[in-house]
Amino acid sequence: MMTREQRTGLALMLPPALLLVAGFLLPLLFVVYTSFMPPRTFGLASPPTLENYVTAVRESYWRPFAWSIFFATATTIATGLISWPIAKALVRSSRRFAVTVSVLIAVPVFIAESVRLFGAHLFLMPRGGILAGTIQYLLGLNIGSVLFTPVATLLGLFYIYLPFALFPMVLGLSLVPRDQLEAAQDLGASPWQQVRYIELPVASPGIIIGSLLVFVLALGATTEAHILGGQSAVPVVHAIEQRFNYAQDWPLGSALATVLCVITAALVFPLISRLNIDRLFSR
Amino acid sequence: MTKTETILSLRNISRTFGNKAAVKDVTLDIKEGELFTIVGPSGSGKSTLIRMLAGLETPSAGDILLRGTRINDMPANRRPTCMVFQSLALFNHMTVGENIEFALTVRGADRKARRERARELMALVRLPQEFYGKSVLRCSGGERQRVALARALASDPDILFFDEPLSAIDYRLRKILEMEMKDLNRETGKTFVYITHSLEEAMVMSDRIAVMRDGEIVQLGDPLSIYNAPSTRFVAEFMGQVNLLPVAVDGSGSYVIEGIGAPVAQAFHAGPHSSIMLRPERLRLLDKGRRADVEFDATCFNFYLLGSRTHIHLRRDERTFIVELSPDMAVPEPGAVVRVGFDWTDAVSVQGEAP
Amino acid sequence: MRPEQAERGRKIWTVVVLVLLYLPIVSIILASLANTRYLRFPHSSWTLEPYRQALGLDQTYDLQMTSLKIAVSVALFSVIIAVPGALAFARYDWTGRKLYQRLLLLPVFFPQSVLGLAALVTLSALGVNLSWKTAVFTHAVWIVPIVTLIVSIRVYGLDRAQEEAAFDLGASRLQAFFRITLPQILPGLSSGALFAFLLSWSNMPLSAYTTGVDTTLPEWLYSRMATNYAPMVPAVSVLSIIASIIFVLVWQAGRVAVTRMAAKIAGRDLD
Repeated sequence: MMTREQRTGLALMLPPALLLVAGFLLPLLFVVYTSFMPPRTFGLASPPTLENYVTAVRESYWRPFAWSIFFATATTIATGLISWPIAKALVRSSRRFAVTVSVLIAVPVFIAESVRLFGAHLFLMPRGGILAGTIQYLLGLNIGSVLFTPVATLLGLFYIYLPFALFPMVLGLSLVPRDQLEAAQDLGASPWQQVRYIELPVASPGIIIGSLLVFVLALGATTEAHILGGQSAVPVVHAIEQRFNYAQDWPLGSALATVLCVITAALVFPLISRLNIDRLFSR
Repeated sequence: MTKTETILSLRNISRTFGNKAAVKDVTLDIKEGELFTIVGPSGSGKSTLIRMLAGLETPSAGDILLRGTRINDMPANRRPTCMVFQSLALFNHMTVGENIEFALTVRGADRKARRERARELMALVRLPQEFYGKSVLRCSGGERQRVALARALASDPDILFFDEPLSAIDYRLRKILEMEMKDLNRETGKTFVYITHSLEEAMVMSDRIAVMRDGEIVQLGDPLSIYNAPSTRFVAEFMGQVNLLPVAVDGSGSYVIEGIGAPVAQAFHAGPHSSIMLRPERLRLLDKGRRADVEFDATCFNFYLLGSRTHIHLRRDERTFIVELSPDMAVPEPGAVVRVGFDWTDAVSVQGEAP
Repeated sequence: MRPEQAERGRKIWTVVVLVLLYLPIVSIILASLANTRYLRFPHSSWTLEPYRQALGLDQTYDLQMTSLKIAVSVALFSVIIAVPGALAFARYDWTGRKLYQRLLLLPVFFPQSVLGLAALVTLSALGVNLSWKTAVFTHAVWIVPIVTLIVSIRVYGLDRAQEEAAFDLGASRLQAFFRITLPQILPGLSSGALFAFLLSWSNMPLSAYTTGVDTTLPEWLYSRMATNYAPMVPAVSVLSIIASIIFVLVWQAGRVAVTRMAAKIAGRDLD
């Protein structure tokens, strides 16, 4: 016997649930199924085979995976460290400062990624680029360029994903009650001890969400490598795209995509199920 | 029991926010081992004052001296003082034991020593030992209070500050904890500086009380003398229920009680802008032929049972009087006219005109 | 005082990061102000010519239109789906709610390119033609959860007692919803719609796979950046940024106007 409350809840969850089943679950199932199709075929009529996965291992497709995992890890750590002082400043400062800075950081997020990265590219271009050109003009120095190196890709990743690390961290830090920090101080804790015993534990849901978000999104990123890194380090999504576009090998592309999904799911599921979502968002 | 050594001195302490002065030129001495309470309505500056003493805020002017040494610039985590916050500020993500041991943890004490000290303190504040590993979120209001107390005592501070810690508790539990606080003060011998807006609490617990209003101390002394001899109308009304009789000057220039006509006794120090204050227990119902220095009639309109006492409210000429009945008296019928009176030795002259 | 120094240090760091955050955007603006075939900064001659070209281009108009159609549709669609979604998320207590909350967030924590590819595979397997309509559907998959979350934050703050008071006074469930609940979550719907619009307007990975014949602005820019660069390209980028800023300002002004009008209609009770 379901209560009224339960029936209403179930009825209301249907619209988004249906959307996600049709638009998320179903396509993923298609991709997984396609990964079991023979290489270079189209459609789903052929008998299933594991050949694509074998090929993936044999032809060193682990390399793009390694690059992507490296990029994602580095980005998560870097954006976390860069965001921490900013998040603290936002939580402790006046409302006006916090709102102004938040808006300023949020606005670029709504400008297309490719546009922003293109701007970074123009900035970092050697000789005629904005940075190099200005330095040449003012100081007569001819500096090189980090473009087309993994460093450039990393800079692009830090740039694009910083807001995704910052805002959840602000959310997490805002959960730390001011009076508990004062009590800790009163009881003798140094500033570092206050961070270790009070701020980090209480803000951890926000930090976890932010890190997870950045990691997963950076793992699936490819535009930074395209626009800034060139061919220097090929991330896995780029390899997947190539299978789909140039090589016309959908099954192999699907196999690589499936592996990526599995890695993502392995990270996301355990961490998300540990979160108490009601407590986090109900303020 | 009077204490003699001064442990904490405030000299001309003030704190201004912008152009608003929260604390104005406060000077007082707190004796070692006493339970000193600062009472006042909200906005009187008492919270700001105690935060300055704890080191969570800096005075705009003046000096704070701990045993003679100026500690204005000493940050809170170095002062040998601990505060129990209004919200208690327990670390919700930690257990009872972790909370209590915190001061020791941050000083690097080893696990065994911390554990022992926690046990001691839990016994002292009457918390069952099994609570050690319990999450504070699952503790009741009273249990949380005790944890906060134990936590503050852990580092053996010289002074404990209390910022209205009992304001959010229900009545019954509050009464119990008030008495336990006083017991704790005696048992540990530590100086307690307590702030509250509740006069009852202050009266129950304190050795000395300072009444604060608009950033200034208006009266300082032991509870009974403040209660019986308030200096101003504000203190009188703040410290409890009170009858105020206005003083007027009659045709011949002498003082009379307005509305009743009786002359003010010579020994009673009336003055311009003053009133006659009588506590309900000092204004007596004159039944069975009893007499008093000043007598007058009033109409009874309601009565209130307050545990062991009964108050009746009387009206005369749009003025309300409160009289406390002694146990042997019958409550008059509402509407009945009764005779009440007082002796001049029971009356107090206070600054401030009666409404 | 040490904590105050730390406070100031953090603010300085914030400003530094903000400046770095805007360098690429400033670079695009600077790059758009010359008419040379290759970027040679500082420009020998500064001109607004690329903007003239950009504005004169027919393609620009078509691109903006496509992006606009998609973004508006996504915004409307998201808000409509997010209302029941948010109520189920934050308000009604039903078994499976916790699971629902987590599953709803999954598409957000997911590589967008893979989502786009998966959509492509599915749509072609089902024989559906790719157009701006399929892009709307695909955008919605990851934008609806975000909008739902935004509206849920409002829903969490609802005072249940007010709804109960409405029943007590005789309202039906539906009446209570439209008169009490909906007005109170309206600000959340408004922010959600704005968010949805902007996220869709600027999105490229999903659009790239699912728009088919139609092209959105970000798609076009991307392809032109890689090959066939011309100063007009940064100019078009800047124009699209300006377009979204204008949209936000108009939206905010509209909200303020609507709120003021509603207050007037409600009468003098607000005095």
